[in-house]
Amino acid sequence: MTEYIQLAWQGLVSGFAYALIGLALVMVFKTARILNFAAGTMAGVTGFLAHWWAADQGMPFGVAIVFAMILTAAGTYVIERLTVRPLVKLGDFLPIVIMTLGIEVLLANVSLLWWGGTARRYRVPGDIDRINWIIGDFRLNAWHVVVAATTFVTLSIVGYIINQTELGLGMKAFAEDQDAAKLMGVKESTVSIYTWVLSALVGGVTGIVFAPVLFLQQDYMNIIFIKGFVAAILGGFLSLSGGVAGGLLLGELEAFTIKWAPREIAAALPVVIVFIILLIRPHGLFTRAKQHERV
Amino acid sequence: MSGLEIKDLKVGYKRNQVIHGLNLHVNHGERVALLGANGAGKSTVLKTISGLLTPTEGSITWKDDEIHGNNPASLVEKGVVQVPEGRRIFPGLNVEENLRVANYGKSPDLLEVGLETAYKKFPILEERRKQPAGLLSGGQQQMLSLSRAIVAQPKLLLIDEMSLGLAPLLVKDFYEQLEDLFSNDVTLLIVEQNAGLALKYCSRFYVLRNGDLVLEGDAADYKDDPTSLQSAYLGVDTK
Amino acid sequence: MSETTNKRQSALERAGIPQPSFLKKNHYIGLVGIVLMYLLAGTFSSYSQTINMTIIYAIIGASLIVVFGLAGQLTLGHTIFVACGVFLSANITTAWGRGLETELPIAFAVAFVLGMIVGFPSLRVNELYLALATFAVAFVGVQILFEWKEFTGGGSGKGIGDLEFFGREFSRGPTLVRIGLVILLFSFWVVGNIQDGRTGRSMNALRTSETAARAAGIPVAWLKILCFGIGGGLAGWAGVLYIHTLRYGIPENFGVNLSIIVVLALIIGGKHRLMGAVLGAVFVRWLPEILRSVQEYEGVIYGGVLVILTLWSPDGLVGMFERLGGHIKRLAIDPLLSKNGEKAVSEQTNVVSPLSSNHLESFSSDQLRGALQIKNASVAFGGVKAVDDVSFEIPAGAVTGLIGSNGAGKTTLFNAVTGHVKGATGQFILDDQDLTGKPIHIRSLRGMGRTFQNLNLHDDLTVLEHALLGLDRNIKYNRVSESFRLPWVIREEKKAHFVAAEILEHMDLLEYWNDKVEDLPYGLQKRVDVVRALATNPSILLLDEPAAGLPTAEALEMMKKVKEFAQYTSAGVLIIEHNVELVADVSERVIVLDTGAILADGSPEEVMKDEQVIAAYLGT
Repeated sequence: MTEYIQLAWQGLVSGFAYALIGLALVMVFKTARILNFAAGTMAGVTGFLAHWWAADQGMPFGVAIVFAMILTAAGTYVIERLTVRPLVKLGDFLPIVIMTLGIEVLLANVSLLWWGGTARRYRVPGDIDRINWIIGDFRLNAWHVVVAATTFVTLSIVGYIINQTELGLGMKAFAEDQDAAKLMGVKESTVSIYTWVLSALVGGVTGIVFAPVLFLQQDYMNIIFIKGFVAAILGGFLSLSGGVAGGLLLGELEAFTIKWAPREIAAALPVVIVFIILLIRPHGLFTRAKQHERV
Repeated sequence: MSGLEIKDLKVGYKRNQVIHGLNLHVNHGERVALLGANGAGKSTVLKTISGLLTPTEGSITWKDDEIHGNNPASLVEKGVVQVPEGRRIFPGLNVEENLRVANYGKSPDLLEVGLETAYKKFPILEERRKQPAGLLSGGQQQMLSLSRAIVAQPKLLLIDEMSLGLAPLLVKDFYEQLEDLFSNDVTLLIVEQNAGLALKYCSRFYVLRNGDLVLEGDAADYKDDPTSLQSAYLGVDTK
Repeated sequence: MSETTNKRQSALERAGIPQPSFLKKNHYIGLVGIVLMYLLAGTFSSYSQTINMTIIYAIIGASLIVVFGLAGQLTLGHTIFVACGVFLSANITTAWGRGLETELPIAFAVAFVLGMIVGFPSLRVNELYLALATFAVAFVGVQILFEWKEFTGGGSGKGIGDLEFFGREFSRGPTLVRIGLVILLFSFWVVGNIQDGRTGRSMNALRTSETAARAAGIPVAWLKILCFGIGGGLAGWAGVLYIHTLRYGIPENFGVNLSIIVVLALIIGGKHRLMGAVLGAVFVRWLPEILRSVQEYEGVIYGGVLVILTLWSPDGLVGMFERLGGHIKRLAIDPLLSKNGEKAVSEQTNVVSPLSSNHLESFSSDQLRGALQIKNASVAFGGVKAVDDVSFEIPAGAVTGLIGSNGAGKTTLFNAVTGHVKGATGQFILDDQDLTGKPIHIRSLRGMGRTFQNLNLHDDLTVLEHALLGLDRNIKYNRVSESFRLPWVIREEKKAHFVAAEILEHMDLLEYWNDKVEDLPYGLQKRVDVVRALATNPSILLLDEPAAGLPTAEALEMMKKVKEFAQYTSAGVLIIEHNVELVADVSERVIVLDTGAILADGSPEEVMKDEQVIAAYLGT
């Protein structure tokens, strides 16, 4: 029994990462209909910045995090204004996807230059990631608890912004019907910029808290990025809560598949899920099908 | 005081010119109907006024202020509000959220006043205020759409095809309510295919056909026999 | 001078449209370039490896042109096919001891099949999700290869055996470059042939408007799968070359990053032209060679160049050069040439309508067609019945108008008939064939032709290509012969070009044959839409608001031509229109729809007098 609880907990912790990245992706997709292929790398850069400042440059951990987040917000602002916005006006999706791929390559290589290609593991203050509590046969890592708490707080903040603030209302209205929202006075450029920045910050948080869990390598967020994608697909790509639920579900599925299935199959799990979902329920597990578009 | 003034307006999508030089004016506090069979370009005119489309030529002024080319959000700040065709409520948001969007960027006090007026007028909306708007019936959605306009506190209200997809009785009802929903201070431009209805509630009218103005006049002259507009509408005389 | 009135110069010849042939200018350019490199391969033997990698990237680029450039399916999992070729080759040479004669066919076949499997989701999802699904394939593909140790050698990778061809052993270096060049030449030739044939045309059409391609009878689903097959197969060849060049392959080299790089290389080069594949390959492989001192910035430069190009030249380097060439031509060369007579269509000597041309003979019919029965058609959108139990019959060869106020359900009824709306109930019978529930392209092939309210044209295609697209069903050659441009392919293409030119002439579009539709004025675009539908030789032509946005006189002129063509082919016409004047003028019978049901049905005069109709339009 304890073994199952252990597995479920492990699944949950990786699920948190997928859920957060899934959320970040869905957010931008829902309001702007843009698939941000650079999301994982952007999150990775934030994580690298924070840990590099803290561990190598001797900055206090908290200050490093704040600085990294501020820099992420500013950088995202620049990316949105300079590269995404001019293309949105053209109204074609392909150049934007290519643009985000270009940004992905650019950022990945900049961080490769900056931090080198070797994997390393950054410590956190007080070596929290080394503390393990043993309850019966159940092993609980302290950093995992931090991860869980951070995820919970992040989701709450995002939930609050979306559901309780005027900005969130504008985002939701914009996602449902752009023209109608504009006619109500919602400014497209404001919604877009806030959505991008919020999404990048959610990604950044993920990058920072998961760095000590994974080996920090230049592309360490790529794997989480892909699984975040799978989470978003599971959730139908248009539902924020669907994306989160999809992430948690994927985490659990993975934990239990690795336990019983051969490694080849476990490795193929995400792609198998994507294929099945796309073929059977293209609109995701948690959303209803939308009406067919009129020609 | 001057109201809405449109001069030599030309609008098109890509190479397809839809409006070929329209002149139209609506005085402050006046109610004017823009009529025509569909495909005539009526909605295009409204969308251009509200900023969703940019004219290729010509000018639009509202209270001596040139407004063509402004974005919709800044026009909303100036009191130019459009009730879009086909209601265009946000189906996934609940009723109250739909109304709150209409107050976007304005003070919360105005929202309170607006909500109160709207709910008093349409109690059913208050009853269902926590339900997703997509679950409302067609008539209720139209109520919601109008209520959004109430909350938005318009000075110039543009209404696009209120009669679309609604039972005739309901439409009549809505037109009657326009009277007491918006004070005489609100300037009204109504796009409508149903001439009979529009003429009853407006003082003047324009008829568009294929993007050209073919007739304008006083509603009183045609009110009793809207069928006499048919040749202007359709371009064929069947009498 | 001929006496018979039937003898006339064909429209194709008068417009000076070049006839399809075996050789084109690009063949010479390609051949000269490659022969030159073949001869010089020995001289630059120290660069053999870089040259070979460039060739490999160019082949991958060509394979991506099929998938992405032509069919528009953004794939981010393309290196899985390269890896497939790499490890098949490694195993064939080491375990079986066979050479290229076995490696190339097997690599192609396996990667082809794998491609079709990977392409399968493209049937169900839009381009965005597809990019994602292929991204996942690339990612997981590497992991599977990594774990599949007996095939790939896992983390340490696998080496290659000898370079052999039917038992003859070759040294690597320049010889391998020459072998690479031969494979490159062959791949380019095949891809070029596909671009010029019906497959390329259909793929272009599906990229620019899937809906319209279906309505023209193009088997969109099959083409989507096929493009992945062809692309996969060619990438498999690139894989074979790859492992012979580097002598070993490691699974982790074929991950997402390489997949993205090859797509980006093609985008940088230009995704619609084979030259783009070459430029992209040269850019990606030679930049690090040239900029040795800043080699570590390689990736930064790719990313930067891509971001800049996406903003300023979406057609990549090729597009940039072409635009530059265009400017030079306009500024420097055109003023030197006194008169540009390129557009001129020589006058017809004896005035004979294209309809009496023998090229259109096969379209003529004495048997009236297009008897349409609609039985109890209903369409509901989320509880609202857009079309409510509508039934009517149209006799063969009739011209019928369908009018009604906005939201009356006209277009929805149309879409139900042609299959463009899901969830329609009722029965649709055309000339005794039950089309209920059939996919769009099958309905089209059985004789249902249509135009679109909002002009679903194929932006990158020329006017002539739109006509050829409609004629696709009459072009009889299979896709394998097409790849090698066998004699009957050229014969059939020629025939189709003659027919297309006549149809263009009938609709007064002949002089615009070589214009891209996006550059035409709206009125001509409308006629292109009609031409595409007419070229399918429909039994019944459904026109969705043909007059919208046109002056009535111009619309009437167009309708006159359509009616002439319909009469010639004994086809029926059904028009939806807001412009009542036009409908009354061209139709024998008018049906009025209101709130999803039939309100009136009769001759135009009767319907116009009907009080209910007047009430519905004007209100009371």
